[in-house]
Amino acid sequence: MVKNITIFTTNTCGYCQMVKKYLTAKGMGYDEVNLDQHPHRRAEAQNISGAMTVPITVVTKTDDTKEVIVGYNLSKLVPAVN
Amino acid sequence: MSDNKTHQLVIVGAGPAALSAAIYTTREDIETLLFEKGVVGGLAAVTDIIDNYPGFAQGVHGLDLAESLRTQAERFGANITLGEVLAIDTSTKYPKLLTTDGQVRTKALLIATGCDYKKTGVPGEQEYYARGVHYCATCDGAFYRDKKLVVIGGGNSAVQESIFLTRFASHIDILVRSKIKASEVLQKELQTYIDNGKITIHLGISPKEIVGNEDGVYEVVGQTTKGELKKYQTDGVFIFIGLQPNTNFLINSQVELDRYGFIATDGNLETTVKGIFAAGDVRKGATMQIASASGEGATAALKIREYLEGRLHTSEPRELEVNP
Ligand SMILES: Cc1cc2nc3c(=O)[nH]c(=O)nc-3n(C[C@H](O)[C@H](O)[C@H](O)COP(=O)(O)OP(=O)(O)OC[C@H]3O[C@@H](n4cnc5c(N)ncnc54)[C@H](O)[C@@H]3O)c2cc1C
Repeated sequence: MVKNITIFTTNTCGYCQMVKKYLTAKGMGYDEVNLDQHPHRRAEAQNISGAMTVPITVVTKTDDTKEVIVGYNLSKLVPAVN
Repeated sequence: MSDNKTHQLVIVGAGPAALSAAIYTTREDIETLLFEKGVVGGLAAVTDIIDNYPGFAQGVHGLDLAESLRTQAERFGANITLGEVLAIDTSTKYPKLLTTDGQVRTKALLIATGCDYKKTGVPGEQEYYARGVHYCATCDGAFYRDKKLVVIGGGNSAVQESIFLTRFASHIDILVRSKIKASEVLQKELQTYIDNGKITIHLGISPKEIVGNEDGVYEVVGQTTKGELKKYQTDGVFIFIGLQPNTNFLINSQVELDRYGFIATDGNLETTVKGIFAAGDVRKGATMQIASASGEGATAALKIREYLEGRLHTSEPRELEVNP
């Protein structure tokens, strides 16, 4: 079961919009960390994913395990949130 | 999604060509299903500012244009499914598509899958993907605030994206195999960044290796035309060396491709298989612009309507289309 979802995004990233749209279409809420507005959180996004890209989607389960999806990747996102 | 229904029209892709076609077909009450494996809006959605799309005097953000196209197509009933078309079977009366959502059958098919960025194939490119090697400036540029970058390529995309990246990077080295081939307007803009020291151009340099460690990329090795190796210190590399058509899923079909993988069409934008059309960047002879992709989408839609109504006449390449 999903406890919460956090997406790291930037203003100009088209793939970030797709992740947000997908979750909205599924009726799932999420927290967004816009790295243009919060540049000091870039290191956090990088540490959690090992990647320098957005979107980074962090799905926290009810048992507090985390699944991290790098980029817009439906084959990983769909099972992680369902 | 697997269903027994035969759809009227399936469109592969949801970039400008596909969405423009869908606006036309849905307004004509042709049931239209689109499959999109990436971003709705295609490459246009991952471009920062589009300055040459007619009707936007001040330019338009790629994401805003993509969103408008999507809203307009959906307003008339276009059904956009997020999924990938993996293969098509052209051996049956109606083409059958194998998708990540199952199988679908359609009377008419429009392929508007555009292109993807070419890879250099040098050592380190794959290994450091998203950890220092990037293909999307609007997605990943923000990670390089006050850092040094290398851009590989010398065409329109390389120059346009380098200019975008100057918002973040302290300095950009552009490595160009031969010479800068971008449009004059872009070259003029580029010159201002060369003059203020933000960008340095290195002509006659081919990439040989992208070097890094557990922290990411720190160097690009290039080779001059004389075979001499040169090293460029950097925090990251953006690669824009051209585009390749998204037609892998057609390889075992009867749709004819040219030697680069672009789809051959006639004057109706119909491929070598009846009822299968192609529009936009994926088409052989495409001019790789949003305005022309949209125009081809509209043309394909009108031809598809004729096809579905049994009125489409075979087109010779030299045939002139005259409106009645
Ligand atoms: C950096 C850059 C800057 C540009 N700037 C400009 C500009 O300023 N002005 C301009 O006019 N043009 C510009 N262009 C070109 C413009 O983006 C393209 O010409 C235009 O987007 C082509 O539209 P299209 O619909 O043919 O293809 P695309 O926009 O490429 O859309 C094709 C879509 O099909 C999807 N797809 C592919 N294969 C499959 C599959 N098997 N299943 C499902 N979906 C699939 C892709 O994910 C993609 O979303 C730029 C291009 C780049 C790369």
